Amino acid sequence: MTSSTNTFFLLMANGSIESAELPEYNEIFIKYFFVHGQDWDKIAGLEEGSTQIGHKSIDQRQTIAFNFPLDITFKSTCPFGWPQLVVSCYGQDVFGNDVIRGYGVTHLPMSPGRHKLRIPLFVPESTSKMQKFFAWIQGRRPEYIDPRVLAHGEGREVTRVRSQGFLNLNFNIVTKDMRKLGYVTTTGESSSANISNQMTEINNTTLANLTQTLGFNPEQSYVGQTPRF
Amino acid sequence: MAEVHIIGQILGGSDFPDNSLYCKWSLSAGSGWRLLQGIKEGQTHVDNPTYEPFAAWSHPIDLHYTTKGLQGWPKFNFEVWHQDGFGRTELYGYGSCHVPATPGFHELECVTWRPIGSIKDQITSYFVGGGLQLKNPELAIANSESYRLKTVSMGKVHLRLNIILRNFDKYGVEF
Repeated sequence: MTSSTNTFFLLMANGSIESAELPEYNEIFIKYFFVHGQDWDKIAGLEEGSTQIGHKSIDQRQTIAFNFPLDITFKSTCPFGWPQLVVSCYGQDVFGNDVIRGYGVTHLPMSPGRHKLRIPLFVPESTSKMQKFFAWIQGRRPEYIDPRVLAHGEGREVTRVRSQGFLNLNFNIVTKDMRKLGYVTTTGESSSANISNQMTEINNTTLANLTQTLGFNPEQSYVGQTPRF
Repeated sequence: MAEVHIIGQILGGSDFPDNSLYCKWSLSAGSGWRLLQGIKEGQTHVDNPTYEPFAAWSHPIDLHYTTKGLQGWPKFNFEVWHQDGFGRTELYGYGSCHVPATPGFHELECVTWRPIGSIKDQITSYFVGGGLQLKNPELAIANSESYRLKTVSMGKVHLRLNIILRNFDKYGVEF
């Protein structure tokens, strides 16, 4: 086992890009990037990649299933700059150009456990009607040069976007040594919460006894039975 | 010194009378609080949704506060604005909500309101467009004497926040 003098904690995240809901578009593939702060280091897994090209399902759902696995481990000394997943979905127009169909961004979940996320996808829009027209003529729609800017809050006020569709993700999160470094990410971990947990346990046992005594059992006669709580 | 991390997103806005919305946000905290890392104010992009009446902002928030006391727990202040096809902007709502004090994941909905003024003002804004806005929104949100203000309810701002606390239990703070 590692010694207790660790000054960093680990964040292991695995999961998958489950499916996309982009009703208007077909033939979508997704590029993803993990973006994190300076204190963070990737120690295992891939920080970027791209999925297969998915088609819509033929039925009513019209989802594009990717089932693309994500698996990454980070280490850090400070939660600031918590990793974010930035996705950009590309499709093809009639001329075979790759066209952006949606950007999305989300933080990795922080509390250990399984998480399902549904994130909105949006595309930047031309600022004027003129640019819109030329973009349409040239087949070059506005897109971010580096989608990583989405993970930063600055400089967004100048962009106009149109949101269209959603992306479904799931994550399993495991953290190591966060509690040891003093970071509390869930209420269940603190000492005071432990007491309340014990309290609920006690309550649960009383409740169990209660249901045993009051539970409907035709073979049991309730007359003369003393309650056990 | 105890530390608080506020990490998450301003997810979007819903239930506003029109789409094409953006949001100006800021965080305010008491005097004992110091921002170590992160940005405490900003503005989202303008979103004009195609299908659902939900303006998606997906605006990341990542703040690292350190504090000497519990008083003045950080608070979000929002201003939701509407941008029309000509690029004119109009105030759609003020809102404010406290950052949750318990660690873990929180999904918040912040309801918003907007001043309407007198009947004359309402008629004017109906025909001319635009509307009233506050000269000093921080004061109105913080002030306990905002009871003369006539307002109308607007939509909601949706937030997904993760709170990480550090060293609070050392000082006997329970949560």
